[in-house]
Amino acid sequence: MSNRKPYTRPMPRTWWLDHPFYRFYMVREATVLPLVFFTLSLTAGLICLVQGPQAWQSWLDYMAHPVVIILNLVALVASLFHATTFFSMMPQVMPIRIKGKLLDGKWVIGAQWAAVAVISLIALVLI
Amino acid sequence: MTQTTYQVSVLRYDPATDDAPYSQSFVVPGDETMSVLDALGYIKDNLDKSLSYRWSCRMAICGSCGMMVNGVPKLACKAFLRDYAKGVVIEPLANFAIEKDLVVDMTPFIERLEAIKPYILGNDRRPEDGPNTQTPEQMARYKQFAACINCGLCYAACPQFGLNPDFLGPAAIALAHRYNLDSRDKGKAQRMPLINSDNGAWGCTFVGYCSKVCPKSVDPAGAVNQGKVASTQDMVIAMFNPNKDGQEVRG
Repeated sequence: MSNRKPYTRPMPRTWWLDHPFYRFYMVREATVLPLVFFTLSLTAGLICLVQGPQAWQSWLDYMAHPVVIILNLVALVASLFHATTFFSMMPQVMPIRIKGKLLDGKWVIGAQWAAVAVISLIALVLI
Repeated sequence: MTQTTYQVSVLRYDPATDDAPYSQSFVVPGDETMSVLDALGYIKDNLDKSLSYRWSCRMAICGSCGMMVNGVPKLACKAFLRDYAKGVVIEPLANFAIEKDLVVDMTPFIERLEAIKPYILGNDRRPEDGPNTQTPEQMARYKQFAACINCGLCYAACPQFGLNPDFLGPAAIALAHRYNLDSRDKGKAQRMPLINSDNGAWGCTFVGYCSKVCPKSVDPAGAVNQGKVASTQDMVIAMFNPNKDGQEVRG
């Protein structure tokens, strides 16, 4: 006869509060929240653009509101933070070998930031 | 060497008498060379012979003595009491059911390892064909992932495994990736359906703590997420070649 009675420990919803690594992970994931706000604002802007000059002007006034500016700045910081963590993980996901030798991760990370800089410059020149 | 005493708290659970685990404190004498495993040995030999825990090699290679040390998955033989000045709390590996004291049920882990067929498949070479040589370059592609000692620490560090008991998990996917990258192996098509599933590589949300706690620097998080790239390649190839069930693409 078996005397087994395995005890399964519960995993509470607050599991991520117990360790700094998990808290950092949740902060990384939470960067999506201000980005959702930014995306919704941008979508509203597109709709207003289609609706005509009056709607467009009201959207411009909305975007100039101090609270909206602060929230968008938070979204910018969040996206840069997310990009930093995402780029730093890329060498793990896509190890690049040149002539059989593993390319140092800092080149992969640097190349991604270079791409961000180039795309941002192009966007600035176009706008 | 300076003799001192250490405060050691151990999670206890006896299925014959207890309904739930509880903490028990011990005072263990020792010096700065004393490992957590040594402390457990002292407790069992001198303070409470009923204490149950797994161990074998004492040199961080067998993977038997995995447990939570102050909330972090560690090999007890590789964790030292000198690093825990305020006392140490020892618990069984997280995300596994407790059988007794520090002994957990590793069945889910073993089942996952078996499922991914972690051995060379489809290679019809015979002993008389001679050694199946590889170039250093071919070996370098999988060598890091071959260092897994099946200790299960990565599963204890993986909240996804804790939240979703069906998740294939870091070590199994890392081992599958290891054999998929091996030039001698031709079993990728057999392993990919598991990697491609929701509970395979795609179940991973890249918390990354599994790689942090791995005592052999296997980087299972890297392997799992390289598995996502391999899975994507697999899907694209299947789109262009729908009649072929799986393929032999080298990831």
